[in-house]
Amino acid sequence: MAKNKEFAPGRKRKTGVFDVINYIVFIVIGLIILIPIWKVLSDSFNAVGVYKFQLFPNKFTLDGYKVIMTTQKLYRPFVNSVVTTVLGTLLGLVMSTLGGYVLAQENLPGRTAIAYFLLFTMIFSGGMIPEYLVMKKLHLVNSMWILVVKHGMNVYNLVLMRNFFEGIPGSLFEAAKIDGCSPMGIFFKIVLPLSKAALASIGLMYAVTVWNDYSTVQIYITNRDQVNFQYILRVMVMDGDTPVTQYSVSQTTLYYAAIICAILPFMALYPFLQKYFVKGVNAGAVKG
Amino acid sequence: MAKKQKTTSSGQVINKKPLKMRIWNNRGFYIMFLPVLIYVIIVYYWPMLGIRYSFYDYTLKKIQYVGLKHFQKMFAEKDFWKAFANTLFLSVTKLLLTTAASVIVSVFINEMANLFAKKVLQTVIYLPHFMSWTVTAAVFTLFLSTSSTGFVNETLKSWGWISESIDFMHEPGLWRGVYYIVNLWKETGWGTVIFLATLAGINPELYEAADMDGATRLQRIWYVTVPELANTIIIVLILNLAKVLNLFESVFVMYNNRVFDVSDVLSTYIYRETFMTAIPNYGYTTAVGLFKSLVGCILVIVCNRASKKVRGRGIL
Repeated sequence: MAKNKEFAPGRKRKTGVFDVINYIVFIVIGLIILIPIWKVLSDSFNAVGVYKFQLFPNKFTLDGYKVIMTTQKLYRPFVNSVVTTVLGTLLGLVMSTLGGYVLAQENLPGRTAIAYFLLFTMIFSGGMIPEYLVMKKLHLVNSMWILVVKHGMNVYNLVLMRNFFEGIPGSLFEAAKIDGCSPMGIFFKIVLPLSKAALASIGLMYAVTVWNDYSTVQIYITNRDQVNFQYILRVMVMDGDTPVTQYSVSQTTLYYAAIICAILPFMALYPFLQKYFVKGVNAGAVKG
Repeated sequence: MAKKQKTTSSGQVINKKPLKMRIWNNRGFYIMFLPVLIYVIIVYYWPMLGIRYSFYDYTLKKIQYVGLKHFQKMFAEKDFWKAFANTLFLSVTKLLLTTAASVIVSVFINEMANLFAKKVLQTVIYLPHFMSWTVTAAVFTLFLSTSSTGFVNETLKSWGWISESIDFMHEPGLWRGVYYIVNLWKETGWGTVIFLATLAGINPELYEAADMDGATRLQRIWYVTVPELANTIIIVLILNLAKVLNLFESVFVMYNNRVFDVSDVLSTYIYRETFMTAIPNYGYTTAVGLFKSLVGCILVIVCNRASKKVRGRGIL
């Protein structure tokens, strides 16, 4: 990283007061972020219903998780979450790569019109209620597919994809065109293989959005078979409306265990994927 | 291909063919755009037609033209103005607080010489951004609960700082503070990404020159780092100012009927008026939504102008 050149060898800087303060600040910030998450994790294993200032459970138990795993009413929402996340991500990727690719064609007649057609949706929208009425007409109210449809494309991500495609050297396309490759062929054989990193970061954006969505479910879905895990978690913790009938642990331990289940898929992958997230944002910040 | 075509030095064909032919030659691209076109029309443009309902009474039983009735009702409604004011106030305060916090944290990260510590902290502070608002609200509601399982109240009591539990989530005087703190916890880290990208691009010679002049560490930060960040700070503020009216989910998962006065925002108002009312009038809530969209639209256009002035290109 270029920004560290100021610490280049030969110009050794003494570890001063500032560095000590900086380390302290780092530790404090890190703790502020981590303690709530750690506390949830630790208390999800807590067998005694006491949740004071302690960083480890008084008595360790897996019962919270056992109850979650054996409650069949939680299976359906979890599966719904997984299915909608996978499909929503796929649809989102297909749409934004197709759109981004077309928008990246400099000489395409009507390109400006297409761009304005898409950008207008970022400036103005029908609003919550007209959207609801349209989805009702499409029979998507009370159906989990609303999650896929609603997050099926995000214009901002499409623009990010376009920016990325524009960075691919045009000579590559020309060469392929001369070899008789169709636009579709170029797209699949040249563009997509070159865009793996961009696809990963944008795919992750979609996945996080769909997995984390709660308000869409709250607005559109009342049928308990169709809700996602975020919704059921919310209902459990905030309304105390648990589908769990048999308690072998304290309710709060159970809630904490449910919270961990909701964040686990991303937390487990997060350290490996973090660079893609950051790449995506930087792509938007630097060029978008 | 036509024989007389001119090409650029890189071999790119200069388009001088008639438009019809160019369209025909690019048909592959138009076919590829078709799914996006259909999707955008259905999901984004079709609902725009529904805006007409703001001039209608639209209940389960009837749809009837009523002119500007809903707008008159809206502008006379105290709850509406409260929601509008809350939206602006919560959004802008939140934006200023998280941006300030992000800048400060970025400066500290930038000053850290230990690369490993830097990486670890960045990984940690980005984490909360990926937790859903539902999970965040659930965690903090449980922590701040007044029951004997509430971590914060029990801890404060055991330290003897308070004798009675404080109902953080339901106390109108405290709710906003809690809301800002939760937002700071969740979004400060992610906000640093853009500032760190800017800091990475600072010319090291500037720091060298500062050292040469005998600048102290703090002077280096104040006279080199901060001015370099100024432009980015303005851009971040402009970009987010365009979105201030979109406040919804973060409030929606944290508010409750005892704190409506300080927490109700336009989107939650629309939601409640539609889905929590026995006989909803879609016409009225569509009108409120239209107002929100229009004001939002103006904000985007103003911010776009501002952005063009500051950095030479718009936000779109």
